[in-house]
Amino acid sequence: MLLNRLVQAIPIMILATFLVFSLLQLVPGDIATTIAGENASEERIEEIREQYGLNQPFLIQYGNWLLNAVQGDFGKSLLSGEPVLETITRVFPNTLFIVIYAVVLSVVIGLPLGILASSKPNSKLDGAIMGFSSLGVAVPNFWLGMVLVSIFALGWNWFPATGFVRPGESFTSAIWFATLPAIALCTNGIAEVARQLRSSLVEIHSSQHVRTLHAKGLSPTAILWKHGLKNVSVNLLTVISLLFNKALAATVVVETVFAIPGMGNTIVKAVLEGDFPVVQGAVLAMVVTVIVVNLVTDLLYTVLDPRIKQV
Amino acid sequence: MKKKDNPVVAEAEGFTLRRREFLGMLTGVAAVATMAGPSALMAKVMDNGGILRVGAPANPSSMDPATGGSGSDHVFLFPVFATLVEWDYDTLKAEPGLAKSWEYPDSKTLVLNIREGVKFHDGTELDAEAVKFNLDRSRTDPRSNIRSDLASVEKVEVTAPHEVTVHLKSPDTSLPLVLSDRAGMMVSPSSIKKFGEESDRNPVGAGHMKFVEWNDGDRIILERNPDYWNKERPLLDGINFRIITDSSTRLRSVMSGQNDVAYQLEGRQKPLIERGGSVEGVYGATVYCFQIYLNHASGPLSNVKVRQALNYAINREALVRASMHGAGEPAYMNLPSSHWAYDADVAELYSYDPDKARKLLAEAGYPDGIELDMRGYNDQGSVQRQEILQGMLADVGIRGTFKTGTVPDMSAAYFARGEGDFLVSAWTGRPDPSLTYALLYAGDSYFNAGKVEPPEGLMEAIRASRSTADLEERKKAFSTVQRIVMENALVVPLAFREDIMAAVPKVENLQTNLLGKPKFKHVYLES
Repeated sequence: MLLNRLVQAIPIMILATFLVFSLLQLVPGDIATTIAGENASEERIEEIREQYGLNQPFLIQYGNWLLNAVQGDFGKSLLSGEPVLETITRVFPNTLFIVIYAVVLSVVIGLPLGILASSKPNSKLDGAIMGFSSLGVAVPNFWLGMVLVSIFALGWNWFPATGFVRPGESFTSAIWFATLPAIALCTNGIAEVARQLRSSLVEIHSSQHVRTLHAKGLSPTAILWKHGLKNVSVNLLTVISLLFNKALAATVVVETVFAIPGMGNTIVKAVLEGDFPVVQGAVLAMVVTVIVVNLVTDLLYTVLDPRIKQV
Repeated sequence: MKKKDNPVVAEAEGFTLRRREFLGMLTGVAAVATMAGPSALMAKVMDNGGILRVGAPANPSSMDPATGGSGSDHVFLFPVFATLVEWDYDTLKAEPGLAKSWEYPDSKTLVLNIREGVKFHDGTELDAEAVKFNLDRSRTDPRSNIRSDLASVEKVEVTAPHEVTVHLKSPDTSLPLVLSDRAGMMVSPSSIKKFGEESDRNPVGAGHMKFVEWNDGDRIILERNPDYWNKERPLLDGINFRIITDSSTRLRSVMSGQNDVAYQLEGRQKPLIERGGSVEGVYGATVYCFQIYLNHASGPLSNVKVRQALNYAINREALVRASMHGAGEPAYMNLPSSHWAYDADVAELYSYDPDKARKLLAEAGYPDGIELDMRGYNDQGSVQRQEILQGMLADVGIRGTFKTGTVPDMSAAYFARGEGDFLVSAWTGRPDPSLTYALLYAGDSYFNAGKVEPPEGLMEAIRASRSTADLEERKKAFSTVQRIVMENALVVPLAFREDIMAAVPKVENLQTNLLGKPKFKHVYLES
């Protein structure tokens, strides 16, 4: 199955990079004008198109990129000349760190909230938690980010307002710098984990299977931990993997608010400037990550629920 | 924290040692020479210095002065590359740099006397040969973006080990100030030979800071150059630039202490800076001018009275208050009032007078007003400015809707393809005003969208400004230039942008300059 899945990933990667490359053609703006500088003549711009091969047909440009990429050469930024591989290996871990931090926070906070809400469905507590979750889904990340900064960074000085420290340099500093961004990013996740967990648990609690367990005289705690959560674990795993992929896409805004050198910032800047080697490399890295996350999720399903293996 | 995991810390520590040795040497010199003034400064060097952390607005396009293209690069380039000529911060008058003096034996020859004993960061000599190498590279290399800056140069000759003679095609006294910009930034010839195209990311100059690291869109690390020719400089141990494109985030990084300085902030942020607390504001005038470019090849704008009407129709004071939160200077010509070549008489030509604008339109044959194809950019600030201008123009009968787009796109459409009647944009300024005027108004210039031949006498007056090195005579020549430009209303100047920086109080000697591109040579941190 594993080999099969890996083979399937190849057309996905080609299709994704091709789509992005095609879409880049539609983005207004001409990178040759940007490279040529502020008072460049038309001749100079034409000269640059020639030098960088930007005057070649679109399919040939993509083909060249693909050919080099297959050989492990992802090219250099057209603007700054930094090798794309270097950019990605530098900024992607930062984004991953914040995303993982945010997902962990979502689970750690969302899990107890969901259990609490499901314990007394339709009570005031349930209503309050679900109301809070709706708020969590509705609040925009960037707004929350700015509010957090103005209270916890500028007001009380508990956390830094901007910047990032790589986990490899100092793990505690990394956590300290990443906390506000991760909180800004995780509200959505908390809400989703709590809601999904609540509805799954409520459904299971009202099942005949659980009624039988009650009848057998098991304590509610034992039912929750031994039977309830085990039954919802597959659901929960799906939510978490979706959450991860979603957070990966949502970092763009949070990275800008907190001035974090991450993947989102890099992609947006490169798209706006038409720096296609950077865009292509970054998109490929994201696609690979999503494929890997989905693969790992699928493998974990079979561990959590052996019945899935047969399907 | 493991030290070997942190290259910056390791660098800094290795560096402190070297710095101590250097300072030991310095104090020895000071004791022998017993120089009262400088030794006080040296005490500061020993006690303070420090690493300056700067929030910068944009990733550089290249760290090679000849191949880069963005005006925001200079702030990173100035510390690494010493320039042949420098300028006064407030007036942009030329001052000696690597060239300790220069002269024009005749109007078509410039002789530069290069400072002796200056070394590049790689230890090679900065002599006349190196200067010739740089000038020739900048004006001929296919990758050079500044070939047009040195278009007046015919030949560069080494006439003595530290003397360079530049032969010119035509008289050009703007050259010294050209050599204060990209063209005057000296790159080590051996590094160019070593790195080739990779010199874009491996800058080796002779400036007060040495290059350490550049991570795209993230940071640029510089460290003190202990062998800098001016032994009183640098005061700083290093400069760490963090690239933060969002101006609100940039200011926040200073307010919460992750950076010491942020530059190129916006007018609307001034109240935040002035609210007090942890940051101080540093403000200054710049030559960066918001203006309306006019394509007067055909249509109503080919009539000088219509162009004058445009100039009378705009209330520049109100525009500065409304669209720049007061952080700017109303512009009545292409130079701000603090510039050495400013002419107060010309500035009085177009005071706000909507009645006169209506009258001029009627005289031009448009009593019912005109309709124009207006162009502009689509960022928030530009859109706001354009809306205000639209209102002011409609008030006198000049109507139209704006077509907007990104800066490179709209600029290419307007300047290169000649689309639209006018473009609301800006002129970033040049060190020497003659460059500004020639680039904006010469018949074949890129920025003259209609490619209209300039009015009689303009090119002669620009040439006259270049054929004398005497500042008073040059000033007179520029008065003529400015008068011709404004009387013919070739442009609608709007406002000069104010340079706004925010810094924590321990930053000393931070100054703005007229070019709006901060230099950190005199800055130090109070301990």
